[in-house]
Amino acid sequence: MSAIEDVVRELSRLPGIGPKTATRLTHSLMRGPKEECLRLARALTSLAERIRPCAQCGNFGEEELCSICRDPDRDAALLCVVEGAFEVASIEGTGQFPGRFHVLGGRLSPLDGVGPDELNVASLLARIRDSNDAVREVILATSPSVEGEATAVYLEGVIRPLGPKVTRLARGIPMGSDLEYVDGSTLVEALAGRREM
Amino acid sequence: MALTRLRLQDFRNLDRQDLQVPPEGFALIGDNAQGKSNLLEAVYYLETFRSFRGAADRELVAFGETVFRVQADLGREGGEGEVRSVSAAYDRSSRRKKVMVDSREVSRIGDGLGRLGAVIFSPEDVALISEGPGGRRRFLDILLSLNDPGYLEHLQRFRHALQARNALLKQGPGGGDLVAWDELLTRHGAEVLSRRMRWAIQYAPLFRGHYGAVSGGEEAWMEYRCTAGPNPSAPRAEDGNAPSPSAPPVQELTRRFREALDAAWERDRQRGWTTVGPHRDDLYMGMGEPGETTSLRSFGSGGQRRTAALALRLVEGECLRRSRDRRPMILMDDVFAELDEGRSQRLLELLEGPGLGQALITAPKDSEIRLRRDTLPRWRIRYGRVES
Ligand SMILES: [Zn+2]
Repeated sequence: MSAIEDVVRELSRLPGIGPKTATRLTHSLMRGPKEECLRLARALTSLAERIRPCAQCGNFGEEELCSICRDPDRDAALLCVVEGAFEVASIEGTGQFPGRFHVLGGRLSPLDGVGPDELNVASLLARIRDSNDAVREVILATSPSVEGEATAVYLEGVIRPLGPKVTRLARGIPMGSDLEYVDGSTLVEALAGRREM
Repeated sequence: MALTRLRLQDFRNLDRQDLQVPPEGFALIGDNAQGKSNLLEAVYYLETFRSFRGAADRELVAFGETVFRVQADLGREGGEGEVRSVSAAYDRSSRRKKVMVDSREVSRIGDGLGRLGAVIFSPEDVALISEGPGGRRRFLDILLSLNDPGYLEHLQRFRHALQARNALLKQGPGGGDLVAWDELLTRHGAEVLSRRMRWAIQYAPLFRGHYGAVSGGEEAWMEYRCTAGPNPSAPRAEDGNAPSPSAPPVQELTRRFREALDAAWERDRQRGWTTVGPHRDDLYMGMGEPGETTSLRSFGSGGQRRTAALALRLVEGECLRRSRDRRPMILMDDVFAELDEGRSQRLLELLEGPGLGQALITAPKDSEIRLRRDTLPRWRIRYGRVES
């Protein structure tokens, strides 16, 4: 396999990039100065080598704990549970959320073989339990899809006995859409309008 | 709505054609296998984006082609939610369906449903009565998706939760998340139940009336029968002072559905699927007095079943007229051929009223055109080519 085909194949694995776009990107890289190409390669290498999941919340970071978990000014009473690290980035992008996060790494989906054991649920429960009631409210920010709803219902059942209030994002978000595609202001509204489950 | 222009491309055996449709409609005459039913199938595809005969989309693409397209321009009648055009295309190679309303692609197929406002009558409708409950549930699901806002969303979510629950049942014990899926299943299932029950109660008298009118005084009735929850009994004719039945509130249905799931738990677990719920119910049809268990399916004659199927379609037309405030477009695929003279005559009297809109009907011979015999322009079809 040629170097060109190699790059096209790797690029077209990315979400939203088909073979056509991958080919166009590859040709654009080849036409540009060699240094540009190498800079991209170095950035990708350091991404692969330095980024790892946070030991506490599952968000991406460069150290044992991510920057949010290390920040002493974050409100430890508010814990927002999301499906993926991408949602952490969207909510952080709004600048309106003072609390901390927990990343599940997916949502319940029996058809895909995903049950509670496949998600970061045990670590979430341990984290709430070990906080000695410091966590006062858990916001379930899973997607409004059927799987996201089932995940929220399941989590509510296992979190409530531990003490904290359990809330769910308001229904400003269209049914069936992924949080990934929701814009910042809708997210802020959904967070502000959250209701107890 | 009325069809003003119909464009066809590689749909079944139909030629590529661009047809101007008169406001009153047309009577399409042609021998068998020339494409009469296919033309009505193409038109009705724009109402539900699936074949009314249950064919898969790929079977609708003309032999040797990969894409079919059907486009309709619509004339307005002044009702709510009217649009100027609706079109659908299906690509067999990518298995992609594209639905456009007013020249804009809809993001979800459900957003494009029901724009024609049409009801289709076909000889195959008799299967609605003579076969199992699945066909009648499908009838209700399509009708309510078209006429009851929110129904489709709940139905899809219910089915999704059902698949998830069945997958968990097959995996065996140990799933702590089953409770969560039961919650979703009952939440959306109760909405589905409630809307189906409300519909059956609301339209039961009309079904009785139409059946009586077409049959010439015979009795038949329908009621929704639940596998998970209460069964409201159909109103009895002589019970003039009995309270009219009503569907229980959604919370009540949710609770009863959950109880039914709990009661069926052992059986569900052994079989590996969910044995109670809206996916197992029936829109039951009986003959004689309500409550008598003389089922039309088991004991009805051919003529009685056909009459019941017609009555159901007439009820569908009335439901469409009420919920969308417009006269339904009537598609009739050689329906009179199957009926005896008395039934034909009485059906005709019901259909000739002012409540129905444009009519697109088919028959093998001109002499068999009964509906609007004096006014409908005659079109002919041969080898998939329409001569208007
Ligand atoms: Zn962290």
